[in-house]
Amino acid sequence: MSQKPSIGVFICHCGGNISDTVDVTRVKEAIGILDQVKVSETLDYLCSNPGQEMIKNAVREKVLERVVVASCSPRMHINTFRQVMKSVGLNPYLLEIVNIREQCSWVHGDKEKATNKTIALVRAAVQRARYLEPLTPEKLKVTESVLVIGGGIAGIYSALELADKGYQVYLIERNPSIGGHMAQLSKTFPTFDCSACILTPKMVSLSHHPNVKIFTNAEPVLVEGSSGRFKVTIRVKPRYVDLYRCKACEECAEICPVEKPSSFEENLVQEKAIYIPFKQAIPNASVIDKDYCLYLTPYLAVLGPPGKRGVCARCKKNCKSDAVNFGQKDILLDLKVGAIIVSTGFSLMDPLLIGQYSFGFHPDIITNIQFDRLMLQGLHKPSTGEVPKKVAFILCVGSRSETASGRSYCCKIGCMTAIKQALLLDKAVPEADPWIFYTDVRAFGKGYEEFYAKARGHLTHFIRGRAAEVIPNGSSLMVKATDTLLGKQIEEQFDLVVLSPALVPNKGTKELANMLGIDLGPDGFFLEVHHKLKGVETKRQGIFVAGAALGPKDIHETTMEAMAAASKVATFLGRGEKSVSPEVVYLIPGRCNLCGICVNQCPTKAISKGKNEVIINPISCNGCSICIPVCPKEALDLKNTTDEQMIAQIKGIAEGEDTTPRKIAFVQKRTAYGSVDLGGQNRRSYSPEIRTIRVPSMARLGIKHILHAFAAGADGIIFVEGEDSIFNEDRMRERAMLFKKDLGKLGIHPLRLQPTTTTLPQYEKTLVLFDNFVERVKKMTPITQEKREEVKKCLESEKIIE
Amino acid sequence: MKYAFYPGCSNHSMAKDYDDSTKAICKVLDVELFEIPDWNCCGSIDAVYSFKPLYSIALAARNLAITEKMQMDLVTPCSACYFTLNRTNKILREDAGTKSKVNEALANLGFNYNVSVRVWHLADIILSDIVLQKIKEKVKNQLTKFKIASYYGCYLVRPPEICNFDDPEHPTHLDELVETLGASKIDYYGKTRCCGASLGMTNEELALKMSKDILLSAKNSGANCLATACHLCHLNLDARQKDIESRFNIKINLPVLYFTQIIGLALGIELKQLGLQRNWVSPKEI
Amino acid sequence: MRARKLSNEKEQLVTEAKAIQIGVPKESMRDFIKEVMKMPGGEKILECIQCGSCAGGCPTIFAMDYSPMQIIKMINLGMKEKVLSSSTIWVCSLCYTCATRCPRNVDFPTLMMSLRNKAIRENLVNNCAKSNFHRYFFEVINKYGRMHVPELFVKLLDITNFNSLLRNVRLGLRLFKTGKLQLRAPKIETSWVSSMLEKTDQE
Ligand SMILES: Cc1cc2nc3c(=O)[nH]c(=O)nc-3n(C[C@H](O)[C@H](O)[C@H](O)COP(=O)(O)OP(=O)(O)OC[C@H]3O[C@@H](n4cnc5c(N)ncnc54)[C@H](O)[C@@H]3O)c2cc1C
Ligand code: SF4
Ligand code: SF4
Ligand code: SF4
Repeated sequence: MSQKPSIGVFICHCGGNISDTVDVTRVKEAIGILDQVKVSETLDYLCSNPGQEMIKNAVREKVLERVVVASCSPRMHINTFRQVMKSVGLNPYLLEIVNIREQCSWVHGDKEKATNKTIALVRAAVQRARYLEPLTPEKLKVTESVLVIGGGIAGIYSALELADKGYQVYLIERNPSIGGHMAQLSKTFPTFDCSACILTPKMVSLSHHPNVKIFTNAEPVLVEGSSGRFKVTIRVKPRYVDLYRCKACEECAEICPVEKPSSFEENLVQEKAIYIPFKQAIPNASVIDKDYCLYLTPYLAVLGPPGKRGVCARCKKNCKSDAVNFGQKDILLDLKVGAIIVSTGFSLMDPLLIGQYSFGFHPDIITNIQFDRLMLQGLHKPSTGEVPKKVAFILCVGSRSETASGRSYCCKIGCMTAIKQALLLDKAVPEADPWIFYTDVRAFGKGYEEFYAKARGHLTHFIRGRAAEVIPNGSSLMVKATDTLLGKQIEEQFDLVVLSPALVPNKGTKELANMLGIDLGPDGFFLEVHHKLKGVETKRQGIFVAGAALGPKDIHETTMEAMAAASKVATFLGRGEKSVSPEVVYLIPGRCNLCGICVNQCPTKAISKGKNEVIINPISCNGCSICIPVCPKEALDLKNTTDEQMIAQIKGIAEGEDTTPRKIAFVQKRTAYGSVDLGGQNRRSYSPEIRTIRVPSMARLGIKHILHAFAAGADGIIFVEGEDSIFNEDRMRERAMLFKKDLGKLGIHPLRLQPTTTTLPQYEKTLVLFDNFVERVKKMTPITQEKREEVKKCLESEKIIE
Repeated sequence: MKYAFYPGCSNHSMAKDYDDSTKAICKVLDVELFEIPDWNCCGSIDAVYSFKPLYSIALAARNLAITEKMQMDLVTPCSACYFTLNRTNKILREDAGTKSKVNEALANLGFNYNVSVRVWHLADIILSDIVLQKIKEKVKNQLTKFKIASYYGCYLVRPPEICNFDDPEHPTHLDELVETLGASKIDYYGKTRCCGASLGMTNEELALKMSKDILLSAKNSGANCLATACHLCHLNLDARQKDIESRFNIKINLPVLYFTQIIGLALGIELKQLGLQRNWVSPKEI
Repeated sequence: MRARKLSNEKEQLVTEAKAIQIGVPKESMRDFIKEVMKMPGGEKILECIQCGSCAGGCPTIFAMDYSPMQIIKMINLGMKEKVLSSSTIWVCSLCYTCATRCPRNVDFPTLMMSLRNKAIRENLVNNCAKSNFHRYFFEVINKYGRMHVPELFVKLLDITNFNSLLRNVRLGLRLFKTGKLQLRAPKIETSWVSSMLEKTDQE
């Protein structure tokens, strides 16, 4: 590639769409005399076959090294012309497209001014083209295995899906068995499937799958590496029973002297210190609870219940397969994975926090999950063992509350669960009398409204009113509430009261988010990138979330998300190789002094500290450029939007003989640029003084660029950020404020810089702002040539005020 | 332990028994109370507050300002005063505008209030670890015959952001005291129910019914005595008990004692000093 | 009979709400809401989700014409007069049960006090509270700096209701007999009272 590459410029008439408003011949002539421009041509319909042929021939004959096409928006035909480049052996990134239709001819009426603007835009493109570099998408190796954290239905489903696709899957679960909450449920709404019957076959096939390795009693402790190549350290806690030797005969549990509340049975039942969590547990082997075992917790041996003191080890002595092993220790394992799925689910809020329902003050005030367990144990009152007839279901316990202990969001499953349980009660107990105290019945979803109707058909009492209090009253329980529809206060006695506590993030969610470098929402659950379009992606490439870890939801939605996450992982890992866009940030060698500022700023954790310099992971980097202007050493730059290229383009736009004032609008390349284009498509006219430059986001801009623009002749600058940008409105305005201050110091009116954000359909807002801005600047005293020289000097002396 | 003591109007003008018993036990328990000189009305929960809000806040602030000069924490035996004084602190802390207006009014009287006084209920102090320990040491009579229903009412525990003596739904501090003294505690429905004291003068009928519900639920749960920590509650539950009985045509006959009187009994203080003769429903039987 | 009456009232409420929504210009409706939101206790009224837990636990609801939750709804519909002249705002015993439990942090009792103030100022006080209790109480405090129970007692004696008169006189005697009632008026320095009132009396 020569030092001064030859450039060909092609200007399209677009069947009059352009040439009616722009004097293309004048443009062609004005550009033709520029340095390095070997060809300057115009033609009707450059995108047509003859148009493409013309470009190809010109490249071949005149040995062009760069191509500038002035035509419609790059959003229309960039791929057409890149294809042309490829077919004549030129790198597609050596092409520059100038948008002289949507953002020029369609929106201006004055031919003279439109032509001048076009000349400026094309000149800028030519200047930029001088610095274009060939780029090729990088191919990076990724590890073809996946870590799934959390073995509830979400984890199980996505693990199976990925294992079936041929990926190696590691599933880690912190409990002694996989299954999550679904394993505890009785029947499930809205279809009354038996939960265990539909879940356990999945658990079994997972455990037999050749591509799956399950670790129970395990949690991640450290995540290193980067997207596509993670190294995750997990801690596997001792089970004290050899998984492979244990035959699950449970003879050990029979002789174990210690009892403890069963957490699987939600503390309704006692189990032994050595136990199998539930019949269908996977892995199906005993486990010892260290905190209760007399052998493992020596102080219990001394201080434990009388008659049971003393070092025990009865299980070990008795086990015929010699499976008990008190010597097991914590094991740390390193797993190499390319992607991670987080499916850590939820937990239930402790209803003790909502004091008025007297949870904990009477054994017959229980939670909904306890009711599901009671259904499976044979429905009874925990206090006496009698069969309850009249049961109150109290909804929204701690949900939809703005109080200190409450949760502002809806638990989403409480209503349907209560309806399900009312129907189950009705079936199980003759003369059952379920009452549901609801705030609003939320029965969205397929089959839910019908399910609700069914419960009404069974004469369930639906009381509209959040219960005020539950008062333990000897053997029965009194519920006080108001039926808000009748406006009547009621006091009723019940045999059993079932509370629907709010669903809250699982314990350790915050720590896990920190470890993985992903965000939590204001509700404390993991945050997806986009609620509608990127529902299982996190801000870190290669890390996905599914199920209740994202927020309360039912099983149907959970499994849908699990499959979506699995599919996303498969796309991400591809066939072990990942093609990465070349438009990412790179490090200019020899400048970085490891100050680490950029590491903290990067929203996707693409930058990490290396030995002498930072290291940038091109898979993670999305080119947002937030890091570039913050680097005090100017050690970072963005491929295809380098500082050199940008400054050349800025100068090209702002310089020139014509006397029209010019404003540069920096427009975020996706939403905002599309929005301005939309204005063009609707022929919404605005001042030709506005000239746009496409940038990845406003984050790319430093004070340097602003000053160059003013030095070269611009008299105003607009930032148009997309509302979807990672560089959100607040951060953008914050940075714009800094620029304004600096401008003020240099004697340039701070109002000559105007930031705004937009969405695609909001083009009108942006264009009105363009109009107003032009008017406002008109009223200011013009920037003198001396001022511009001063700014130029300031730039040269490198005394930039960053 | 030294505290600035704010008796409150009604304590002063119609609860001599509470006042006496408080002084008697504090003497034994080495809690020194210094009555705030020249104290005035606390501003009232509702009566003055609803009529002239700022005036009411200023009334409360005057007491607090005097206390600030004494450099002590404030103690009051009245739950209503406990509420108003704490409410005033909260308002003045959160609302700079009101604070400056109130201080302007106080300036005329030669005061300026910096919102630094902490306000305690007498029960807070007596039931603190140290004093409770002392009670344990000094108990002379185990009150084994007493089956005490502790009554918390409203302003000891509600609203929790102003009055946080204990859990708003399931308070237990007084019950702990009861057990310390060898008496048995009674769990009952009326524990934190409102006795209607604030309606006593405006809507007597209603107040009678509300107090009746509390007394009956305590009685029916097996109590032979009710313990309160506020003379407004005491007025409604004790002095009005006869009215309740005649109005609803029932027999209740449940003695209502101040928690200080109960402590006094356990400490072996003379009955006269505790003002027990002044109770309308006589506790003699127990 | 009672049930019939209730439903009549309800109907009336609904018609009125409708009339308000249709007839009253939105602006004046908003004015009232805005005004209430500025009062102590009114900050959160728009947060109310009409769940009813306030009404469920209220100990005085049976004597109210509208339940706490209905009052909030009525405020949100801009029914100024109905709200200010309701008995609810006077019947509320300020027990803070509802406020403690409200999931949306609506501070109903504090709002009740603010509305009492407003009702007094706008002369919309409901009959059930015509006893002028607040004014008398204020006068006594203003005179002595402290409460003087006997004086307030006498001021409040309602000669029209014989039963209550009897009960209250008996109550007074009872207190007096046990030596609890102080007949002497409190004697403290009170010169400051008027100056303080002057500074703080906004209306
Ligand atoms: C009472 C009740 C009844 C319900 N009934 C129904 C119904 O009838 N129909 C219906 O559709 N839905 C029902 N649901 C909802 C259903 O339970 C959930 O939708 C479903 O369980 C969500 O699955 P999950 O895998 O996302 O989360 P979970 O089931 O919570 O699983 C998460 C798993 O991750 C593990 N884990 C957490 N953190 C870590 C960590 N750091 N490391 C390793 N492992 C970790 C946990 O131990 C757990 O095993 C009900 C819910 C409740 C509470
Ligand atoms: S799902 Fe039903 S119970 Fe749960 S918070 Fe929402 S409305 Fe309340
Ligand atoms: S408790 Fe609160 S949210 Fe519920 S109806 Fe009453 S005021 Fe509204
Ligand atoms: S504060 Fe008033 S409205 Fe609220 S529960 Fe008590 S009496 Fe009812």
